[in-house]
Amino acid sequence: MGTSTDQQPDETLLAGLGAGDAELSLAFVRRFQGLVFGAAITVVGDAKTAEDVAQQAFEQAWRHAQVFDSRRGSVRAWLRTITHNLAVDAVRARTATPVDPDDLPAILAAVTDTPERVAEAHDNAAELRRTLAGLPEPQARAVAMAGIYGMTAQQIADSEHIPLGTAKTRIRDGMQKLRAAYLPEEAGNE
Amino acid sequence: MSELNEMGCHEFSDVAAELALGVLTGRERAQALAHLDHCASCREKVRELTATGEGLLGLLPSVEPPAGFEARVMDRLGLSAPAPSPARQASWASRLALLGRKPARRAPAGQARLAGRTRRVLALAAVTLAIVAAGLGGWALRPGTSAPAGAPLSSATLLSASHQAAGKIFLYEGSSRWLYMSVDMPGGDGTVTCEVESQDGHITTVGSFSLTDGHGYWGSPVPPVHGSLTGARLIGPGGTVLATASFHSY
Repeated sequence: MGTSTDQQPDETLLAGLGAGDAELSLAFVRRFQGLVFGAAITVVGDAKTAEDVAQQAFEQAWRHAQVFDSRRGSVRAWLRTITHNLAVDAVRARTATPVDPDDLPAILAAVTDTPERVAEAHDNAAELRRTLAGLPEPQARAVAMAGIYGMTAQQIADSEHIPLGTAKTRIRDGMQKLRAAYLPEEAGNE
Repeated sequence: MSELNEMGCHEFSDVAAELALGVLTGRERAQALAHLDHCASCREKVRELTATGEGLLGLLPSVEPPAGFEARVMDRLGLSAPAPSPARQASWASRLALLGRKPARRAPAGQARLAGRTRRVLALAAVTLAIVAAGLGGWALRPGTSAPAGAPLSSATLLSASHQAAGKIFLYEGSSRWLYMSVDMPGGDGTVTCEVESQDGHITTVGSFSLTDGHGYWGSPVPPVHGSLTGARLIGPGGTVLATASFHSY
C-alpha cells in the first residue's frame, strides 16, 4: 500500500489542504506547483507575476477545497482553471495587449510539441494536441489568443489587423475542430 | 419580448466558442446568456466547448517554479512545512492515527483556530467526504458537512486470516456514522465487501470496493445499525473472510 503522501489521490491531498493539514498541503503544493506555475508563466510571461498568480491559485484552492465537486471535473483541471482565470485577470489589469503576436509561434510550438511518447498516445489530449498542430495557422493563433490569453475577438482583430468578423470566424471554426477531436463521441451526435 | 431574447440557435453558434472561452463581452454576451436560459441543446454545445477549452489549457507545459516556492506558499496559507519525522513516511491512515495523539497543528491564517480534537475529526470527515464524492465510495455525497466537536473517532487494524496487518479502519460516529479504510493485502485483488458487526452480533453490509495489486482506499457512510459497532470485516469475491478488525476508541 502507498506509504507516503506522494501516493495519495489528488482528492485526498485537496481535502487535506482544505482541512489545514500541513503534510497533505505540502504534498498538494509539490504535486501541482509545476502545473500551476506553468499555466501562470505561459499567460503572464514573467516569473515574478507568475509566482504571485501561482501563490494566489493555491490560496484559492485552500479557500474553496470544501466546495470542490469531483463530478464536475478533476482536481487538476479545477486548479488549472483557477490559475488561468487569475493569470488572465493579472494580464488584463496591466496591459491591453496580453501577448506579443511575434511570440505566438513559440507558444503554439510549446503546446503542440509532440515528443515520441506524446505522439504515440491516443487519448483525447493527444488528439487535441495533434488537431491544434494541424489547424490553419490563423485559426490556431486565434484559438490560442482567446483560449490561453483570454483575448476578445476585438482584441484579436486589432492585434492581427483583420476585420472583427474574421476574428470571430477563426475562433469559432478553430474551436469546432478542436471540439470534434477532443470530444468525438459528442460531436458525432450532432 | 425583450430584445435580449432574440438570439436564435444559428446566431448563437457563431458566438458559442467565445462564450465558452470567457471572452464574449457586452451586449452579445447578454444575448447569448439569455438564449441559453431556454435552449438546452445550446447549453450542451457550450458545455462541450468549455470542456475543450479546459483541454486546451491542459496542453500548457508544466514549469517548475523558482526555488523556495513551496515554502512561500505554505507561509501564505499560514501552514508550517512539517519537519521530517517517522510520521512523514507513514501511510496516510497511520498518520491520521498519529494526528489523534498529537497536539493540534497550526491553523490556516484567517481561520478560527479549532480545538485539536475538532480539527482532527474535521480533517477525517473532509477527507472521507472528498473520497466518497470522488466516486470511490458507494454514495455520491457533496463535501462540506462538518463533524460535530467531540465526536468519537475509533480505529482498528485489519488483520488477515494469518493475523498479519492488512490495513487500517477509522470509524467516525457523529450525527452519522462514517467509515474510511486503507487496505494493503498482497494477493487480494478484485472486489471486496465491507461488513460491520454491531454489539448484538448483527452483521451489516456497508458496501464494496476494488483492490488493485492488493491495495485500496475506500470511504462510505455506514447504514443505520442498532447499537454500537464492535468490528468490521472484509469479504472476498468467493465469500471468504479476508480480514477482520475490532474497533477501539482513541
